[in-house]
Amino acid sequence: MALGAAILVAPVLAACGSDGDGRTIVNLYYAPEDKLEDVVANCNEAAGGRYEIVYTKLPREADGQREQMVRRLAAGDADMDVMSLDVTWTAEFAEAGWIQEWTGDAKDEAENGTLQGPLDSASWEGKLFAAPKNTNVQLLWYRSDLVDEAPETFDDLIAAARQLKDAGDPYVVGMTGAQYEGLVVQYNTLTASAGGRLVSEDGKQAVVDEGAVKALETLKNFATSGVASTSLSNAKEDDVRLAFQNEQMAFQLNWPYVYAAMQTGNPDLQFEWARYPGIDGPAKVTIGGFNLAVSKYSEHPEEAFEAALCLRNEENQKYSAINSGVPPTIEAVYDDPEMDEAYPMKETILEELKDAAVRPVTPAYQNASTIISTVLSPPQDIDPQRTAERLREELQDALDSKGVLP
Amino acid sequence: MSISTTTPATAVETGRAGKPVLSEGRRAERRLGWLLCAPAVIVMLAVTAWPIIYSVWLSLQRYDLKFPDQRQFVWFDNYVTVLSNGYWWTAFGVTAFITVISVAIELVLGMVLALIMHRTLVGRGLVRTSALIPYGIVTVVAAFSWRYAWTPKTGYLANTFAGETAPLTDRAWSLFTIILAEVWKTTPFMALLLMAGLALVPEDLLKAASMDGASAWQRFTKVILPLMKPAILVALLFRTLDAFRIFDNIFVLTAGAQETSSVSMITYNNLIKGLNLGIGATMSVLIFVAVAIIAYVFIKLFGTSAPGSDDGGRR
Amino acid sequence: MAETTGKKVGWGFVNVLVVIYALFPVLWIVSLSFKGPETLSDGNFIPRELNTDNYALILDPANFGLFLRPLINSIGIALISTAIAVVLGTMAAYAIARLSFPGKGLLVGISLLIAMFPQVSLVSPLFEIERSLGLFDTWPGLILPYITFALPLAIYTLSAFFREIPWELEKAAKMDGATPTQAFTKVIAPLAAPGVFTTAILVFIFCWNDFLFAISLTSTEASRTVPAALSFFTGASQFEDPTGSVCAAAVIITIPIVLFVLFFQRRIVAGLTSGAVKG
Repeated sequence: MALGAAILVAPVLAACGSDGDGRTIVNLYYAPEDKLEDVVANCNEAAGGRYEIVYTKLPREADGQREQMVRRLAAGDADMDVMSLDVTWTAEFAEAGWIQEWTGDAKDEAENGTLQGPLDSASWEGKLFAAPKNTNVQLLWYRSDLVDEAPETFDDLIAAARQLKDAGDPYVVGMTGAQYEGLVVQYNTLTASAGGRLVSEDGKQAVVDEGAVKALETLKNFATSGVASTSLSNAKEDDVRLAFQNEQMAFQLNWPYVYAAMQTGNPDLQFEWARYPGIDGPAKVTIGGFNLAVSKYSEHPEEAFEAALCLRNEENQKYSAINSGVPPTIEAVYDDPEMDEAYPMKETILEELKDAAVRPVTPAYQNASTIISTVLSPPQDIDPQRTAERLREELQDALDSKGVLP
Repeated sequence: MSISTTTPATAVETGRAGKPVLSEGRRAERRLGWLLCAPAVIVMLAVTAWPIIYSVWLSLQRYDLKFPDQRQFVWFDNYVTVLSNGYWWTAFGVTAFITVISVAIELVLGMVLALIMHRTLVGRGLVRTSALIPYGIVTVVAAFSWRYAWTPKTGYLANTFAGETAPLTDRAWSLFTIILAEVWKTTPFMALLLMAGLALVPEDLLKAASMDGASAWQRFTKVILPLMKPAILVALLFRTLDAFRIFDNIFVLTAGAQETSSVSMITYNNLIKGLNLGIGATMSVLIFVAVAIIAYVFIKLFGTSAPGSDDGGRR
Repeated sequence: MAETTGKKVGWGFVNVLVVIYALFPVLWIVSLSFKGPETLSDGNFIPRELNTDNYALILDPANFGLFLRPLINSIGIALISTAIAVVLGTMAAYAIARLSFPGKGLLVGISLLIAMFPQVSLVSPLFEIERSLGLFDTWPGLILPYITFALPLAIYTLSAFFREIPWELEKAAKMDGATPTQAFTKVIAPLAAPGVFTTAILVFIFCWNDFLFAISLTSTEASRTVPAALSFFTGASQFEDPTGSVCAAAVIITIPIVLFVLFFQRRIVAGLTSGAVKG
């Protein structure tokens, strides 16, 4: 369509398809992950010359990755074969017709032994559109020298922090409350823990039921409790981690990456972890992570599926878990004793994964997320009933792709 | 064909005034004019003609990449949607506010800096180079460093000036830090253009004026400023156009929280995040219109100082 | 003489103020680049100990594609774009400022229009055009848009300067027997120097620091420039910000700018004071 005005010179098939000696190239577009090159090398060996995986890096930020891939998919670019999709993009890419469905043997292999939560995040309208590679869940991290027993509910958490405050110790509870996806993750966790829904099952209706309102109340209580950070509405993951690491906080709600980071940054810090506190007990935590999808425009779908399956097989998931710090999606890997050192918290992670929540599944997820983070920011200004009303209205527009995003 | 440019002026001035038939010199001048402009025009049009037309065409359609089947022609519906939306106008207001304040400050500060860079007696190279460095730093990195500086406990600015409150979570403070970051970064742009304009003011005129008894201030306002009008116009015009499209600083400092989003950010969100090509294109066109109005006002204000507005600057 | 010394001291003091205002935040970036993960957020303006790991990482030849290759891309693309934009801009600006021809106003208007249209919407169509022409992820693929978006500023700046150069000089030179070329190179060019070098600096900085086109029209280190390469820096894990290495990279890529400006800043003022107009 855009070609009308362009003077067509030779058609371009650069780097897509086969190289000089006719060997098939499978282009892998993946987020920058430490040591992924080793996994790619493993799979190239296993391929036995039938194909070669070439790893092209995407930008560090999830938004940047999506932007790069969407631009090329929208143009029908055949250059990409296997892509890393954040768990929330599955519905969007599937509905837009950019990724291929997994069927038959490939589907069975992808599902075999994989945890249910990640599998849910890779499905849309009952079909599997991606193979889960790694996952992520937030935990409650706390100072073991200040706190004896980890609180199990949010109210307990606030109370424990208040006690520390009165005693003059570090007391702040760190949460990612900036106006971005991190806030949506937290809110989704609270909503799911309260048994609520934000969006209907088919992803078309904005629901925001009682559970969601209860979650709003909890969030607001937390933000105005006096134990939240003053920078709450500007805090992202690493801000929270750094503050905890510098002993300004007693608790933080954050991803497992903080374990290795804090060990390097402040080896003397004494901390432990526990399940994320929920409303009436431990929470149903929102899962993150990456799935592998095959592009609709790939010229070698068979090889692409095979390559994807290899990259996320049990052995490679274990390697990535230990060397790149990304939790696996295949349950058996967790039992492996080699995981103990890098993942002392693996039991807790597994527990949470078995009782996890996903973010609203809809092709308009980006819209929904933008609206939710805007309406909920800053958390101190939430008025549960009115905010819920506003959320219902604007979320519906977002799902219908009407109106304007903030 | 050596186009003689010896005295094209003569060909016109010594008059075959009023005759519809062009003189040889006139025709040669036109040819030369077109020839000299051609490469620039060709490059500019080749790269932007189609994308601009395509964007305008997109703005007349409902086109969301996520729902490709719903694509249809809707004429001006998108414009109605955007112009009646609260988020758009909030962003517009914030953008206008930031633009006016930062450009005003930059004009004054830039002029001061330009005077210093031009007239300083010692360490000319050092002053000029260091004054320009802020403009040369990658915007995103500079924005990050400001973010760190304003974060309580981690940053020296927050610790010194803000006490207990977190500046980046308060609307007034956020706007202040954004404007500060913008001004620090782009004043050198103004200063450089103004300094080059200053360099064109003949020393003799200034000497003559001071011998006539004019004070420094009078020399400044009555001799220097009027002669600098073209440079001021270029500096003001381009700086305002860029200021209106502010994105990076806000994105890194507050991510648009506390309603500090700009029109560029809201366009980005709708176009790239929301994949709503129709609305995104509509917003682009609206931004373009707003910016065009600003440009029009400036050019009218500065009258004959605009390029190409009078006949070849012949005096 | 005392007056001059006093003035010098006065100016020296003013200079120091300017330098502090301009460089204080830059020093903060430099300081961050010398901090390791343990001291990154300790709030100290001057790091207690200098940690050169960040620099070692990005300058390591083993990580060629991370920073060194983008640096080369940046230098090449920015220099070429600047050179071409200044040449084309000078030609067009001369025509606009000195010559009379129909369509002049239109040209000026169109170039302003191009400068005003939000670039974010132009990126996707441009991407598709470049893809089909095989320019995607190449140096020309970035050079062409850079020239395009630098030209309006170049044309406006240069024509503003050309306007200020008196006609009489050219006429006088020719009456003294100079050929048109000699008139141009010996009389006009030196007077145009301030405008040309100012434009060159501004265009160079624009190309050097552009992010939008660099991230959208490249996909590998073949043509990715440094601002875009910064988005590919990783911390030790997904959420960790690679602040240290990004700051180190920012420090290094500011150095060419400093050199470029140092070299050209003197020539900006060379202009009229060189004595073309005597009495």
